[in-house]
This record gives sequence, C-alpha cells and structure tokens, in this order.
Amino acid sequence: MKKSIFSYFINRILLYALIFVISLSAFFFFINLVPGDPVTRYIQMLEQRYGLSTPASEIVIQKYKEVFGLDKGLFERYISYIKRLLFYQDFGPSFVAFPKPAIELILESLPWSVGLLGTSVIIAWVLGVILGTIIGWTRESKISSTIFTTGLVISQIPTYLLAIILVMVFTFWLNLFPMGGAYSAMLQRSFSLRFIISLIKHAFLPSLSLVFVYVFGTMISQRALVISVLGEDYIKLAEAKGLKSFRLVNRYILRNTLLPQTTGLALSLGFIVNGFFLIEWIFNYPGIGRLFMMAIREMDYNVLMGITITTMFCVLTANLIIEFLYPLIDPRIRRG
Amino acid sequence: MKRILLIFKYSPKLTVGVVILLSLIVLAVLEPTINYYRLNGRSSTEIGLFDTFLPPSREHPFGTEAYGRDVLSLLLTGLKYSLLIGFTAGALATFIAVVLASIAGYKGGRIEAFITTIANAILIIPSWPILAIIVLFVRKVDLLLLSAIIAFFSWAGSSRQIKAQIASLRERPYIDLARVTGFSDLEIMFKEILPNFLPYIFVGFSYAVTGTIMAETALRLVGLGPGDIPSLGQFINWAIYSGTLAQGHYLIVISPITFLILTFVSLNLINVGLDEVFNPRLRQVTGV
Repeated sequence: MKKSIFSYFINRILLYALIFVISLSAFFFFINLVPGDPVTRYIQMLEQRYGLSTPASEIVIQKYKEVFGLDKGLFERYISYIKRLLFYQDFGPSFVAFPKPAIELILESLPWSVGLLGTSVIIAWVLGVILGTIIGWTRESKISSTIFTTGLVISQIPTYLLAIILVMVFTFWLNLFPMGGAYSAMLQRSFSLRFIISLIKHAFLPSLSLVFVYVFGTMISQRALVISVLGEDYIKLAEAKGLKSFRLVNRYILRNTLLPQTTGLALSLGFIVNGFFLIEWIFNYPGIGRLFMMAIREMDYNVLMGITITTMFCVLTANLIIEFLYPLIDPRIRRG
Repeated sequence: MKRILLIFKYSPKLTVGVVILLSLIVLAVLEPTINYYRLNGRSSTEIGLFDTFLPPSREHPFGTEAYGRDVLSLLLTGLKYSLLIGFTAGALATFIAVVLASIAGYKGGRIEAFITTIANAILIIPSWPILAIIVLFVRKVDLLLLSAIIAFFSWAGSSRQIKAQIASLRERPYIDLARVTGFSDLEIMFKEILPNFLPYIFVGFSYAVTGTIMAETALRLVGLGPGDIPSLGQFINWAIYSGTLAQGHYLIVISPITFLILTFVSLNLINVGLDEVFNPRLRQVTGV
C-alpha cells in the first residue's frame, strides 16, 4: 500500500515537471519567433518616447545584443536560457532597474500575490462548496432556485470588471477604502494591530472582487455535482435506512463531490490568475500582476519573461499540491 | 418552427439569453446607421466633437466623456468591435476545438492522450500574460491577427467540452453500422457525428466567445492591442486614464461594463438553456 501511494506521488511530480518544461519551451520559442529582438524594441521605445538620435543607438543596440547574447542563434539562446534558469534561477537583469536582476524584483512582489490570491481562492472555494451543497440538497425550494439563478448571472462577471466597479463605489464614491498599495505608506512593517488593520483594509477590495465571483462559480458546479450524486442508489439506500440528514450530506454527498470539485479548482487556477493580474493593476496592489503591467509599459523583456515563467511555475506547483491532496480525499487513490 | 417555439417555452433561461444577445447584435449591426444620424456623419471616436463631460440630456442620453465624444455612440461602436472580435476569435477557436476534439474523441489512444495533454496544459497555465507579451511585441496587430492570437489560447476550454461528448457518440451503434458499411473516418466524422453534435458545438462556441471577449477586453483595458479598433475594453481604458472616476462621472465607466456583462450573461444563459433542453437526464433531476 505504501509503495503504490509513493509511485502516485512520483508519477505526478514527473508529469508536472514535463508540463512545465514543455510550456516553458513553447513559450520561449513563441516569444522569440515574433520578429524583432528585445533590445532593439526597448531602445526603439526609448527613442520614440524621448526623441533620441538613431545613429548613436545603433551602436548601443549592437553592444547590448552582445552583452545579452542575442547575436547567437535561437537554439543556442534557448539552451543558455534554460541553463541559467535551472542552475542559477536567473532571468537576466531588468532593463529598467539595470543591473538589478529581474528575479529580485519578482521575489519582492511574489509574496503579496501568493498571499492575497491564496487566501481569496481558499475562502471562495470553501464558501462555494458549502453554499452549493446546501442549494443542491434543497433544490426544490424557491430560495435555492433564486440563489442559483442569481449565481448564474454573477459567476459570469469577469473579476477585473467587478474590481473596477468596487473601486468606483467604495473608493471613489463612498471613500470607505484606501486606493493603492498593500498597507498605508505612513506605517512601518511590524506586527502591530494598526499595521494589520491597514493590511486587511488594503487587501479587502481586491480579495472581494475575486471571492464574490468565484463563490458563485464554485457554488454552481457544486450544485450540479450534488444533484448528480443525489440520483445514485446508495443515497436512496442511506435515506431508506433513516440516516440523519447532516450525516447523509456530510459523509455520502460531500465526500463524493469533493474529488471532481478539487479537480475543477485545479483546472481553473490558471484562469483565476489571469484575472488576478488585472485586479492587482486596478487596485495598484504591489504583487507580480502590477509588476507585469509596469514591465509591459517599459517593455522590460527579462522581467516579462521572468514573471510569466514564475507564474507558470507557481500555478503548476499549486496544481501538484492539490493532486497530492487527492489520496486524502479519495481512498481509492490511496490504495492504488 | 413550432418545435423551436416549444423549446423556448420550455426553457425561460434560453429565451432570456437569446433575447438579450439578439438585442445586442442588432444594436451592433445598426451601429453605423444610428451613429451616422446621431453625429451627422462624423466618426464616434473623433476627439472634441462636443464639450467634455456634458451631463445626460436628450441630445446625449449618456452624456459626453473626457475627450468630448458622445458616450452612447462610443458605446455602440465599442459593442460592435467587441462582438466582432469575440465572434471571429470564438469561431476560430471553436473550429480548432472541433477539429482537434473530433480527432481525439474518434481516434482515441495515443493521439487522444497527446491532444488532451496539450489542451490541459493550455488550460492550467495562466495564458493571459503570454497573450499580453505577444500582442505587445507584434508591431502591427489588426483585428484578424488579434482574433487569431486570442483564439490560439482559447480553444482548450471548448475542446474539453466537446471531446467528452464525441467520446460518448463513438460508442453508438449507428456509428458501428456506418463503419461496417465502409464509410471512411472522415465521412463518419462529418456525416454521422457532426449533425448530432451541433448543440454541443454551439455550447463550445459560446464558451469560446465569452473567453475571447474577456481576453480582448483585458488586453485593451491595460492599453495593449490595436489602438484604432475602439472596442469596449479600449473605451474603459480611455475613461480610466482620463480621470473619469476621480471626477465622479461614474455612468461613463458603468455603461461599457454593463454591456460586457450583458454579453457574458446572455451567452451563459443560452448555454445553460441548451443544456436543459438537450440533456434530458439533467432535465429530470433538476426538475426545471
């Protein structure tokens, strides 16, 4: 029994490592097949913005191409990029904050994103599963079907559009929540109550824009899962045996819906992260989403590549962790 | 005809969805005419046509915005382009999804595993940053290229939806019959499977349209993509960067957002409605 679960873990790790390498390579070639190279693009952008003279920049471009190794072939560049990434976790220097390495900028903002996104997703998922189970169980009541229809509508609002609405209502109109940053600029980072309150106040709206939509998204899929389980014979048997409702819902229904529901979460993480980039930008929250938008404006190639690869890595790791939870949820996997 | 009416009577969600979506499409199609008469032949994106931030009036039902343009005509133009890109990219994505899902679902085995892995990888990985970088780096993006790039990242979701259905169709007896009769794989796919499959393809299509409009709006919102295609996302971008919110002109920002949400909600209602109508098992359990 121990052996089979061990091989399950190894299997999963290998699969995700493979997906990571494939997507990383596809991404690298994709970006590099777009005509033009990052240094030329960056310098041309500076030229347009500040009206620099072209002949001088030709020399600069040539010089920088050598420094960044862009004068080599595509395949050679790919090998050296992967090597640097694997052995030194290095994305190269940032263009804008030269010579600060891109990885340093990314690591500064990553904890903010992971913290906010992680908390919000867990809250939304747990609430959604509970709510979905309840309205699935009581599906014939008027209230449940009203909640269901409302949920159908709300779950279709893109998180970033809701974020704009929330900023508009709570920050600009009612002036209840602060705009921008992760905590008040007047405060020092510490474990004081004032700092923590400021932290929560700044995180509340970005988190709400995600939670509000995904609670209903999870609720709808959970309701469908509950209803499909309700049709099974073992539920009828349990009911006929006279099992208490709570035990029935908890042990018979919830347990059987948890596995597909967790898979659903794993598959939608990438999509959630997509929207989160914009949420951070809208709220000016200092995570990697905002860093990405800044890098877009400055055409900071290494930072852009770095952020995309880091997010890929984080999302795949999160997926791996979720799959590691499967044996806990489902004894069939535990036994192989 | 009678059957169609019956379907609508059967599912109110489908009816509401179709009505909203059709109204939006009609507005988008009539946009050139409406704007021509409202603006006397001037373009809705022309800067300084009116005074800035005029309050809503009979002449300007939604007022004017920071650059002195009529909000209503900008909205209609935006809606037209958003839907146009959504439907173009959605159709492309659905086409890719249907072709790949047919091959995977029908052939099975290693080919299916390969296609599923690719589709899952695209689904799992956050694709929007990749999309954003490509659009940033490609110099000249026009409507078709933008749609194609977005479609490339959007087919995976629809393909998942469609594939599960094809796999179940593969086992049906009439497919075996066709095979015994000597139909080729292609003939079976297009003559036997596809016709039974149209509602599901439409569901895949509407998923793709939602996904592509969302992705396009997100790109334009942050100022990426072709500036000469004023879609709704571009409109919101203009509004945000011109300090519309800080000055308290909320209607200008709320109206494009409302149009977008109406589009997404109507497409989803159609999906849910189609599922209710074409999926009898679900009909029974949910009791709708």
